[in-house]
Amino acid sequence: MKTWIRAMLSLLSLAMCLVAPALFFAGKISERSYRLAFLLTSIAWFIFATLWMAAARRNKG
Amino acid sequence: MAKRNPRRKECPSRAGEKVAVAERLATLTSQMDKLYEFDRMPVSAEKLQSGGKFAGLFAGEHVAATEFVIGAFFVLHGVGARDLFLGLFFGNLLAVLSWTFICAPIAVRTRLTLYWYLRKIAGPGVTFIYNIANAFLYCILAGAMISVSATAIGLAFGIKVPALEAILPNSVGWVVLTFAIGAAFTILAVLGFEKLSLFAEVCSPWIFIVFIAGAVAMLTRLGVHPNLDNLWEVAKMKIWNGVAVSGQEKLGMAHVLFFAWFCNLAMHVGLSDMALFRYAKKWSYGLFTAFGVYPGHLLAWICSGVMVAAIGREMDPGRMAFEAAGLAGTFGLLLAGWTTANPTLYRAGLALQTVTPNWPRWKITLVAGAATTVVSCFPVFFLKLLDYVAIYGLVLMPIGAIVFAEHWIFPLLRIEQYTAEKRGWSFNWSALIAWLGTLVICFSLPLHLYFRWLPGWFIAIASYTVLMASRRREGRR
Repeated sequence: MKTWIRAMLSLLSLAMCLVAPALFFAGKISERSYRLAFLLTSIAWFIFATLWMAAARRNKG
Repeated sequence: MAKRNPRRKECPSRAGEKVAVAERLATLTSQMDKLYEFDRMPVSAEKLQSGGKFAGLFAGEHVAATEFVIGAFFVLHGVGARDLFLGLFFGNLLAVLSWTFICAPIAVRTRLTLYWYLRKIAGPGVTFIYNIANAFLYCILAGAMISVSATAIGLAFGIKVPALEAILPNSVGWVVLTFAIGAAFTILAVLGFEKLSLFAEVCSPWIFIVFIAGAVAMLTRLGVHPNLDNLWEVAKMKIWNGVAVSGQEKLGMAHVLFFAWFCNLAMHVGLSDMALFRYAKKWSYGLFTAFGVYPGHLLAWICSGVMVAAIGREMDPGRMAFEAAGLAGTFGLLLAGWTTANPTLYRAGLALQTVTPNWPRWKITLVAGAATTVVSCFPVFFLKLLDYVAIYGLVLMPIGAIVFAEHWIFPLLRIEQYTAEKRGWSFNWSALIAWLGTLVICFSLPLHLYFRWLPGWFIAIASYTVLMASRRREGRR
């Protein structure tokens, strides 16, 4: 996977981490759904961001 | 006062002792120098970094586990909403200006770390004492971070967080928990800072998101309408309502302003961020610290204030994070503690290595970790975090003032610069007296702890300048 794709996916998952509480605050989803969505998007961030930053380091070094 | 006659003959045993002490000091100095050898030379032009790099560096630097506690404490201390926002805005502005006009210009002109510049000014002996003081203070700070992380894990095991006025641990469970977390953090630090730094980089932006997400989610519980029409009303009446909880001192805008200003005192006025700014092309890069302090020391503190108000004004960071963001919030708090305790342990180890000749890095990190773990058992350090942060900055601030005086004021008054280096002094006694004397005066000033450092800075500058000027006169005679 190309570095820019990893970067895009990680930034997207970070943005989704913010969408989940916003939807809960707006009353669109329940607290349970918010917590689950926040957990899943957080896991996605950790996976994609680790791949992205590791690739970025490799490219530098 | 009795003066020593330099011509008086010393008895052989005392002379021998003196030689032994001098030899020991020389050994310590050379070992200390070796540790910092890699940054001994001023940074060369090709190694200078762009402004963008500085913005990125600072952006991830000021969101730590302690932010969960600091913002919450402002609520418990009864800070009003208006006072909080104005205090944080202007306090952080003063901190940014301190980096820009005090720390960065000296770093850019010298291209040295504080360690090497202080060595020229105060001699290796004073630098050694500064290092040890720094290591001791770092251990306490890392201990507080471990305690905060312990509240996250403690929630899962039903271990109660100690009460606000607690000094000693409240249960065996708390001791076991802090020891377990301290041991885990220490092992990770021993395994290697470099390997773990990638993971810390990944954590940093997400931890900030945990604060924002947690606060947004908790607004519902506080009764904020989705169209935000009553947001300010809720902020004034339910969050920062100006009423301190029982047993907590009432704080106002001046306290918040000074806290935001001094919370990184050792870094800006204390000049330890010379290590970073020596790579800056221009002194104005100090302004980039705004990218760190405004998200970390304004937004994150506001968010933790919202979270603590939503859980009924109880100082339990673990519960705060869990209720606000579920399991991810708990991990966020744990990771925030770890990502900040880890480099703090590393720095403490580096500073302590000066007194442990030939010890490998893992061994000294283990010792620093063990000391930190013991500290973390005592809840007083995280429950009195605001006061500790004030003391931490206050203790190291006079060194920054001494360097400031030597760098800017001595040339104006035609006082010789870098006398310690030129004359080969191990101890610049004037620097040591100015440092310790300032602390004695500061701790006896009839002012609130938060306000003492500012007169202290001027006292340190004036006393060091007068002492060094009088030495010059003595030399002429």
